[in-house]
Amino acid sequence: MKKLQNVVALLVLLALCMGPVFSAGAQESQTKKAGGTVNVYSIMPEKYATKIFEEFTKDTGIRVNFVRLSSGEALARIIAEKANPQVDALWGGPADTYAAGILEGVFDKYVPSEADKIPAQFKSADGYWTGIGVIPLTFLSNAKFLKDKGLTPPTSWNDLLNPAYRNTLQMADARTSGTATERIYSLIMVMGEDEAYAYQKKLHQNIQLYTKGGAGGAMPIATGQAASGVFYIVDALDILQQGYDLVISYPVEGVTYGVEGSGLIRGAKNPEGAKALMDWASSKRLGEVMVANQINYIPTRPDVTVTNPALDMSKVTLLEADVNWKGENRSRLVERWIEEVIQQ
Amino acid sequence: MHGTMKRKSIAKTDPALFFALITVWLSFAVFIFLPLVRLLLTTFIVDGTVSLANMKKVLGTSYNIKALYGSLILATSVSIAGTFLGYLFALAVTRTNLPKVLKALLGGVTILPLISPPFTSSISLTLALGPNGMLLKAFGISDFSIYGFLGTWLSETLTYFPVAFMVIAAILNTMSATLDDAALSLGASRWRMFKTITIPLSMPGIGNSILLLFGASLADFATPLILGGHAFPVLPTEAYLMITGMFDLRGGATLSFLLLVPAMLVFFLQRMLLGKKSFVSVTGKNGARTEFAKLPTALTIFIALICSLVVVFILYLYAIILWGSFVKVWSVNNSFTLEHYRYVFRHGQKAISDTLLIAVLSTVIGSVLAVVIGYVAQRKQFVGKRFFEFSSLLNYALPGTVVGIAYIIAFNQRPILLTGTLSILVAAYVFRYYATGIRSVVASLEQIDPALEEASLSLGASSVRTFTHVTIPLIIPAVLAGMRYLFIHCMTAISATIFLVSVRWTLLTTRILESMTELQFSQACAFSMILIVIVFIADAIMLYLMKLSTSKFHKSQEISYEKVGA
Repeated sequence: MKKLQNVVALLVLLALCMGPVFSAGAQESQTKKAGGTVNVYSIMPEKYATKIFEEFTKDTGIRVNFVRLSSGEALARIIAEKANPQVDALWGGPADTYAAGILEGVFDKYVPSEADKIPAQFKSADGYWTGIGVIPLTFLSNAKFLKDKGLTPPTSWNDLLNPAYRNTLQMADARTSGTATERIYSLIMVMGEDEAYAYQKKLHQNIQLYTKGGAGGAMPIATGQAASGVFYIVDALDILQQGYDLVISYPVEGVTYGVEGSGLIRGAKNPEGAKALMDWASSKRLGEVMVANQINYIPTRPDVTVTNPALDMSKVTLLEADVNWKGENRSRLVERWIEEVIQQ
Repeated sequence: MHGTMKRKSIAKTDPALFFALITVWLSFAVFIFLPLVRLLLTTFIVDGTVSLANMKKVLGTSYNIKALYGSLILATSVSIAGTFLGYLFALAVTRTNLPKVLKALLGGVTILPLISPPFTSSISLTLALGPNGMLLKAFGISDFSIYGFLGTWLSETLTYFPVAFMVIAAILNTMSATLDDAALSLGASRWRMFKTITIPLSMPGIGNSILLLFGASLADFATPLILGGHAFPVLPTEAYLMITGMFDLRGGATLSFLLLVPAMLVFFLQRMLLGKKSFVSVTGKNGARTEFAKLPTALTIFIALICSLVVVFILYLYAIILWGSFVKVWSVNNSFTLEHYRYVFRHGQKAISDTLLIAVLSTVIGSVLAVVIGYVAQRKQFVGKRFFEFSSLLNYALPGTVVGIAYIIAFNQRPILLTGTLSILVAAYVFRYYATGIRSVVASLEQIDPALEEASLSLGASSVRTFTHVTIPLIIPAVLAGMRYLFIHCMTAISATIFLVSVRWTLLTTRILESMTELQFSQACAFSMILIVIVFIADAIMLYLMKLSTSKFHKSQEISYEKVGA
């Protein structure tokens, strides 16, 4: 019988095993000090967010706990966690992600202290999100490939249709990547929707792989696995800075740009911390930190001086695409992309 | 041989079983059914009424149908190729007279794919065989494309065949060598002995392995994500893309429900195939322990050749990762640096300690559960047994992406508020990956004659005493094999937990995937190397324990023999 008792005890232990762990978790979230730490989902890459948050902590004494997620994952999680938000703010990520989130009711309005210094196209009209950086699309090509094939860097969307690029282009998959949907917006702005899809069908012949992440094709292009692709400037410059032999060029027809946002989560456990972070981000400090650390977003504050010549947009044709239009049409355009482009 | 007693009331005749069942059912209710039901509601309830609208929409797309076929074809070919390869390796280690060093090398190298996240080997595979890949350049091949079925199949086979190897080797080790002796002394050739004894007795292991690999491949999203390309869609990847890319939780959930059909089919198939035959070879009635007979020479040479080739290829793939972690800038500046490791230890320390804690907790809890469930499912009779067994494996059969999302939906509200905690990660791992432990325990029990336990019972020992003193010592090698796999999975899996990591608890694998998407290839390599080293050390300890327990097992076998004899 003693053995029986032992086993029963063991089973009870097993049943309760997770109990204490549960309550420990719950207590942890309840006893956590307010004000001291702000929890954040960052769509901005970890290496940038780490540096930026370090500076924020230095300036304000508020610590930032964060997890980096892709824009889709971040939004899916925030929606799933609506009843019990795990974070106080969303950091980075394209403005159309915020537009989609507003429809799900996951954001609270907050206009940061210096938001009035940020141009209207870089922030939500209703005060649901505030832009922290601007990133145009660009072409990124492997210099050795261009030389071997006797090509000049592409300067028109049509250059990418050249058969010389057959099976060598890598660019992002529209289902997962904001970079890819930005590419579709750009093409629509340049040539209209139906023409844009006809173009993409032709472009498909030259595609080697649609990568899941927006920056996914940059490394293969750097190492010569692929020849060229379309990227956000921040990803293109990042790989260029690592020392690879690459060329950045822009199409004469123009490109659209993404606005990286920041927003306060509805039901945040530490809204004051989140607001402090957004206030700080609306000040000149954020832009200065980005410039100093070679984080290549174009600051949303026009009064921050950008030193990198690659970020000088005076010679680039920038096309305006309305954020709300992007948000409303995204799903439809991606479904059309699946139906017409990758399934042919 | 299977003596089963009709019981009127379990609660009275076998209170320990009754209690165990209640406990396990309760845990199933919370960690398996609740999330699933909540996910079902999300999928099939549209605006408050039951609706098939989501299903119709998903099935109406030809690309999704293509993904369904893709999943089935991939899982079938991976499970066959992986099991075949695993069987060869298992035979090489347990049934040949190859040098000990070579055997150790085989065992060691096969662990590599297993202990690294699948996308890591996918990346090195891309560098070796992708466009402009090093191997292709070396052999002058220009028109080979890794993206699609072939690359995905190759990567998954290399990633999962060690599972087959582990499961089958454990079975080969617990067979009784006296049968070999009997066959040979009766004049059978070694070929005949191999065909009529070794292969049939391996069937539980082979079936088990096919099921495991089929399930693993069916649920894997990371490999097809990197290597599938748009020409070869599979369901878990499409489901993942739908959830993470299109913000479409319903669509993704609906897609993944399609996976349940093949998963269940395989499950019942395996029961049908293996349920009828008796694979008892450890009867407690054998005499002195002898060595296993060796395989025929021609077969040994064939096995050695294949295994060596595979080993060389795997080593080559991992050399790429090792090299990548020490060079300044991949393929541009190849000078040696420790900078990436410094970064990893400075910024990744929390991820490392979190991952270890979570893996250890999950392994311990998962193994205890696996032993109880496996034992009850194989040895005991009770109402709803088939459903019990099926339920236990449900989370494993479901793609991890779905489990992750289901867990978020289910555990983000009272009464069970778990998002952002350690428990949700541990629970996700336990109820997903204890499956190997259960199967391993069941397969091992199938070879052990219940007469041993009946003898113990008829001599007056309680069912609990019989379980702890007769059964457990006999199945310890199988339990440890399950534990190894559980621990490894907890260290390397990503599909479910990528949705469950929080600002307080983070994992190494998500950090590696992050580094990959952020183009920090060298950092990803350094993180991977650290992960591999940690798991390798833990694995060596586990292996040592297995060895220890196997020798103990034989001793206990003799003890039980004496008991029975007495």
